[in-house]
Amino acid sequence: MKLPLSWLKDFVNVDATADEIARRLSAAGLVVENVECLAPGFAGVFAAKVLQVEKHPNADRLNLCEVDAGEKGKFKVVCGAPNVHAGMIAPLALIGARLGKEPPLEAATIRGVQSEGMLCSERELGLSQDHQGILALSAAAPLGSDVAAYLHLDDTIFDVEITPNRGDCLSILGLAREVSALFSVKLRAPKLRATHSPESPDAAQVSVTIEAPDLCPRYAALAMTRIKIGPSPAWLKRRLELCGMRALNNVVDATNYVMLELGQPLHAFDWTKIAGGKIIVRRAGDTREFTTLDNVARTLDAQDLLIADAEKPLAIAGVMGGLNSEVSDSTDAILLESAYFEPMTIARTARRLGLRSEASYRFERGIDRAGQVAALIRVAELIRKIAGGRESSIIADFEPRKAEPREITLDLNAMEALLGVATPAATAKSRLKALGAQVTTRGKAMLAVVPPSFRPDLNEQADLVEEVARLSGLEDIPASMPARIATLAVVNPEREFIKGTREVMLGCGLTEAATLAFTAPGENQRFPGIRSTLVPVKVTNPLSAELGELRLSLLAGLVAALRFNLNREAVSFHAFEIGKTFAMEGDLPHEENRLAAISYGTYALAAIGEPGVKAGFFSLKGVLESYLDAIGISSRVSFRPVAEGEAPFLHPGRGAIVMLDGNAVGLIGELHPAEAMRLDLNDPCALYELDLSKFIAYGLSPRKTIEAPPRFPAIRRDLALVLDRNFPADVVIRTIRECGSSLLVSVEIFDVYEGNAVAAGMKSVALACRYRAKDRTLTDEEVNRVHALLVEQARRRLGAELRQ
Amino acid sequence: MKEQLEEIRRRAMSELGDNADEAQVDAVRVRVLGRSGELTEIMRRMREVPNEERPAIGQLINQIKREVEARVEELSEKLKAAALDKSLNEKRIDVTLPGMRIARGRIHPITDIMEQMLQIFESLGFEVEMTQDIEDDFHNFEALNFKEHHPARDMQDTFYVEGGMLLRTHTSNGQIRVMEKRRPPLAIVCPGKCYRRDDLSVRASPMFTQIEGFMVDKIGRVTMAHLKGVLTQFAQAFFGATAIRFRASYFPFTEPSAELDMHCLLCDGAGCPVCKHSGWTEVLGCGMIHPNVLRAVGCDPAEYQGFAFGIGVERTGLLKLGVDDMRLFFENDLRFLAQFPALSGGVR
Repeated sequence: MKLPLSWLKDFVNVDATADEIARRLSAAGLVVENVECLAPGFAGVFAAKVLQVEKHPNADRLNLCEVDAGEKGKFKVVCGAPNVHAGMIAPLALIGARLGKEPPLEAATIRGVQSEGMLCSERELGLSQDHQGILALSAAAPLGSDVAAYLHLDDTIFDVEITPNRGDCLSILGLAREVSALFSVKLRAPKLRATHSPESPDAAQVSVTIEAPDLCPRYAALAMTRIKIGPSPAWLKRRLELCGMRALNNVVDATNYVMLELGQPLHAFDWTKIAGGKIIVRRAGDTREFTTLDNVARTLDAQDLLIADAEKPLAIAGVMGGLNSEVSDSTDAILLESAYFEPMTIARTARRLGLRSEASYRFERGIDRAGQVAALIRVAELIRKIAGGRESSIIADFEPRKAEPREITLDLNAMEALLGVATPAATAKSRLKALGAQVTTRGKAMLAVVPPSFRPDLNEQADLVEEVARLSGLEDIPASMPARIATLAVVNPEREFIKGTREVMLGCGLTEAATLAFTAPGENQRFPGIRSTLVPVKVTNPLSAELGELRLSLLAGLVAALRFNLNREAVSFHAFEIGKTFAMEGDLPHEENRLAAISYGTYALAAIGEPGVKAGFFSLKGVLESYLDAIGISSRVSFRPVAEGEAPFLHPGRGAIVMLDGNAVGLIGELHPAEAMRLDLNDPCALYELDLSKFIAYGLSPRKTIEAPPRFPAIRRDLALVLDRNFPADVVIRTIRECGSSLLVSVEIFDVYEGNAVAAGMKSVALACRYRAKDRTLTDEEVNRVHALLVEQARRRLGAELRQ
Repeated sequence: MKEQLEEIRRRAMSELGDNADEAQVDAVRVRVLGRSGELTEIMRRMREVPNEERPAIGQLINQIKREVEARVEELSEKLKAAALDKSLNEKRIDVTLPGMRIARGRIHPITDIMEQMLQIFESLGFEVEMTQDIEDDFHNFEALNFKEHHPARDMQDTFYVEGGMLLRTHTSNGQIRVMEKRRPPLAIVCPGKCYRRDDLSVRASPMFTQIEGFMVDKIGRVTMAHLKGVLTQFAQAFFGATAIRFRASYFPFTEPSAELDMHCLLCDGAGCPVCKHSGWTEVLGCGMIHPNVLRAVGCDPAEYQGFAFGIGVERTGLLKLGVDDMRLFFENDLRFLAQFPALSGGVR
């Protein structure tokens, strides 16, 4: 809301500086985002009445005028404007006046006649490009007054951000009330004279029927006639413009002016277009379409509130008027509407139609429930003055549903309990009164408060506490520490687990990344994550199609981050992300905590001159294994080669499903070469992704029991088995474990060989078995016996040859 | 024989000059002292020596043997020392060259900042609770006193998703989620991601991180003065803030509502373009929990009250880091990320 200081001063005589006003308003919850000081483009220009116009003796197109500038004196000036006429009041630039960047005005002799000044056009005053004629000031402009001041050109404009609860501050008067309360200066509300009685020949009968009192509890209307549509006076246009509104014609401008001033939206209909002079306030019902005055056909909802006459709709209530009843240049009779519409209905209609008007904006936030008649009186007065109109009806005021009286009890002790500081009753009382509330003392420390009709946001005690507190900018409230609520704040296990996970990843050389949860459908197809059957969650109102779905996987974002960095000098990229992914589960979206990693380029740096370790399946699997070790569940995790069609973004021979207790909980692998080529990657790119929620559950299980180190030595025996080259090593280990006796404490692969020494398509897997007894040192003979047994059993179960 | 011995000595000693190498020394040792060496040979021929000369010859042999042995020993030591010297020199390295390693990863700035904040609140006795990103209208709006169609909903442009759900616009849903399952007294912080329909730009991001905090207890035990106290401590601990102020504001779920400003970190209150010449920057929103919020979770506002606050992690992070582009947080540019710590928490 734009607030011109000059307009503010119409209602409150505040002498604080503009900065101080801005500071206090901001501290009280009305943030002043900007204070703009306007300087007029001229000086030394005064309002002067043209007394007499004579032809210039030596020039056909020029006139010689005698003008009266009040206490400044009378002057003779030469004027060439076609619109100059006796009786008009115009801006007179006297000798020495400054107009724009021109040098000071000098006395001039024009075609032999001395001119003692200059009557100015809008262009000469820098007000507009209009140079058709001299600027006609209002007949009410005091002679000799400084035109810059009269037109409010030397003004300060506050740009005030109005929070949605303060509809009352969407008006100059509302803001003036705040200023009056903040600075303890009196508020001078505009004086309202009763409307004139209609003159009998023009008398009109206005009939109003409110069929939807639930949506429109009050509707007031006034007919006016003998209107002369034309431009508004300069001062009024100027004020509208300062508040960011465009001037149209005097009637529309007058309604907007009063709306800005009092906060009551008004609408002017062309009276002759209203069939039977009858206004009906009703729901749209079967009316499906209506053309608003911006010439757009709007589709209506049955619940939309309409203003109609006996035959047709005239306006979408509180949102926009209709083309069919718009005030035009030929209008000479109007009907003025001043109504209260329920905020909900206006909000719903305006939102659905995507139509936000100055009126709907105010109705949505709640206008003064009792301000309808006052606004009509105010606008009628203005229209009499600037458009020559006369009232042709009495004010038709219908209020089928009265406002419910609200009285709120303010318990000063409760206020102290909420704020943590006592407020004297007198302070609370005077602050609430300054805001327009009626306050009566009810016993000790109790106030009965009736909020003003323009404050629908004040509904209970807490609302009043805020009003009292905010007027001092919350400065009355001290800062102190509360008693500790928890003697022992419980550690959140999920957070601790995630912190630990992050720590392992950092230690393994992965940098933490953060990517957006929104992704393109194509990316979700490319990287469906752990289970390719997941259905993505669609965003109903995405920012763009490219961000139309929620990610199924963190991998797409990490791959994009890799590409981003390779495009910016990076040669390697090792990163992880802990974040949420989303998928539909039945009809409802579901979210899941994930851990994902990407590794590309040199992973382990070697000494200078020696080759480093390049990232690949095994380097990243090592990271994953370190993590599983760290959280203590390595033994329950296995890796199953990806099946045909599973995780299609992975290399089919270099990808695995991560299994936890036999359930798929993640995947790991190298990017499919086709995908790598698409991304223009020259080296293998390793990835993994885990459903972290499955691991968090394990992370919360109690610590396992701790054993003392063994007291007796282990004895090692090796064996080498020749197997098909695709036979998985972990099956070998699992089988040997199963075959081994209780003395077998560990089995490890230490070599895998393919080459001339074994048949083509075969490999030799060399394993080290360690045997140990808890209670004695094993003898060679004993170990040889159990090992031979194990070798024979394992060989048979695996169908393997022994390699000698 | 004596002459022969003198000749052996002369030859040996001349060959065991200072410049003799290992092979020469060894050759002399074998030739003179070896099992079938020259001295052994002479010993074998002692029978030929007349009896009266034998002691003198014997002495001479022993003397020559000792002399050659000593000289061989001396030269060997010298040669070994020289060889060690040579090897030490050859194995010399440039200790300033980089080591072999796996470069340690870096914490993302959002995490880093969030963890610093959470640590402060944890040390003030707050517990951490995590809640969901996908929410229903009730938990994100209605229970937080955002009435349907109320313009307050326009303050947060919401993403809706399938299933009639939405992406939470703030972590304030944490207030509702936690109080639905736990009763006061409570001191909770809820970190998490939030979503609003803003394009990713210098100033905004469609996804961002917030920490919601709230404290609820019996009437009078948690007041607005306490809210000021807790947030003042936070601002001092996190920013080392020089000056802060509270300003009245509006949020549907708090009454009274306030915003916390702090002296602009760039100009320290003098006024600069970053703070729009006001000298102050907005840090967070807060207030006393609205009675309707307590009612929504079945808490009687006649018995309980509390405060709540919400901090934007990225926005606050930009202030603290002195960078001015929100997009930096989501680009994952290593040249940016590599500047952040490799250890989480307060350890620096």
